[in-house]
Amino acid sequence: MTAAASVLGAVALWQAAVILGAADPVFLPGPLQVLLALWQMLADGELLGNAGISILRVWSAFLLAASMAVPVGMLMSSYGLIGAALEPLIDFIRYLPVPALVPLAIIWFGIGETTKIFLLWLGTFFQLVLLVAEDMNRVPVEYVETSYTLGARPRQVLWDVALRAMLPGLMDNMRIALGWCWTYLIIAEIVAADSGIGFVIWTAQRYMQTARVMAGVVAIGVIGLVTDQALRGLHRRLFGYLV
Amino acid sequence: MAGNACIAFRGVTKTFDGLRVVWPPLELEVARHAFVAFLGPSGCGKTTLMRMVGGLERPSSGAILLEGEPLGPPDRRRGMVFQSYSSFPWLTVEGNVLFGMRYRRDLGPGEKRERCRRYLALVGLADFASAYPNRISGGMRQRVAIARTLAAGPEILLMDEPFGALDAQRREQLQLEMRRIQGEDPKTVIFVTHDVEEAVFLADRVVVFSARPARVVADVDVTRVLGPARTLAVRDGPAFFALRNEILHLLRGLQ
Repeated sequence: MTAAASVLGAVALWQAAVILGAADPVFLPGPLQVLLALWQMLADGELLGNAGISILRVWSAFLLAASMAVPVGMLMSSYGLIGAALEPLIDFIRYLPVPALVPLAIIWFGIGETTKIFLLWLGTFFQLVLLVAEDMNRVPVEYVETSYTLGARPRQVLWDVALRAMLPGLMDNMRIALGWCWTYLIIAEIVAADSGIGFVIWTAQRYMQTARVMAGVVAIGVIGLVTDQALRGLHRRLFGYLV
Repeated sequence: MAGNACIAFRGVTKTFDGLRVVWPPLELEVARHAFVAFLGPSGCGKTTLMRMVGGLERPSSGAILLEGEPLGPPDRRRGMVFQSYSSFPWLTVEGNVLFGMRYRRDLGPGEKRERCRRYLALVGLADFASAYPNRISGGMRQRVAIARTLAAGPEILLMDEPFGALDAQRREQLQLEMRRIQGEDPKTVIFVTHDVEEAVFLADRVVVFSARPARVVADVDVTRVLGPARTLAVRDGPAFFALRNEILHLLRGLQ
């Protein structure tokens, strides 16, 4: 209730500012104009197609990063030597700003899909590895020791107990990492793309179609919100035992 | 004697980072199906001794023999129950007990279900089979852990202050249950505790350790004094108090 009221209040204020002439509609179109632009973009199919491409890019890069980060993070946590060897390297890379690596990515991979996937992967993989290792470090040592005394082998302890115990935390971290992917995607699509929501926003900016720029931004927000809520719901469903 | 000794400590010492935890070299034998309490001040090294039997720690010198064979890494023969509630939150009560048999290839699914029912009944949780651990009390969670360990079919049960986090009433209830279970399904038990009453009430034999480094200061045959049956009447009797006081004074004398 409070959330809905505060959002409605902000939108009303925004609309009022435009109607009263406090804001130049070229720079700040009202919410109705933005909604109209969104509707037009939906109607001519421009939005759906480009959003689909963006979603596809985000998820492929995210799944690639996640499927690599989980085993590497678990290895780092289980073997002190691997952890000690990789951590400085990962710490170095994860502090590199992704936009700074765009030129390098273009030199290496051109401006095709590989560049975008690479940039998104770069922004999430190294962060995720450390989060996964941290999740695994938090698995109670009693769970592990109990499993050994129940006859489990190291690999079984990893799969049947450690992974299972860290799953709720892992999924939360994944949900957050998915959000980062969108940030890096827009950067990648602005710099080197001829499709995707980032491209739509960038093109609209070139023609000073502010309403369309904002509509694109709103579309990303809506996709993010829907995904996040869906993942939260899934989390509640899967991990209801924690309540 | 040698044939009757299930677990034998032969000149066992343990040092952590230059700190002596077990010293002088420990010589101790635990008979098959004996219920032995390791009693001593907190942090005295008794838990370390138990973990060495479980294969979770290794002696710095000496050896621990199980049926005359040197001990290896942890396995199903030596079941453990920890102080903290170690039941898995993602499995139901029944799932937890079944997990105890997950790595037993010799049991079919039907046998596993049957054993699961039996051990759930043994710890009094038959009605809570489908509950998740977070929805039941701490005492019940600890019973889940006990049933899970028993279901795995260990020869030796290692318990590290398993009732330490419970209130007095639940503690007493679980102690009575533990004694009853031992009567129905006897195991060689090493029960680590710093609670004198608990040790005397539960165990057939109490081995008293000094503060770190752990050294045996007394080895008390409780069953010779109190007999094998432990009821609340025994607990309220003069023989129990006399023995409890004797050990308490012994522990006080150490400080």
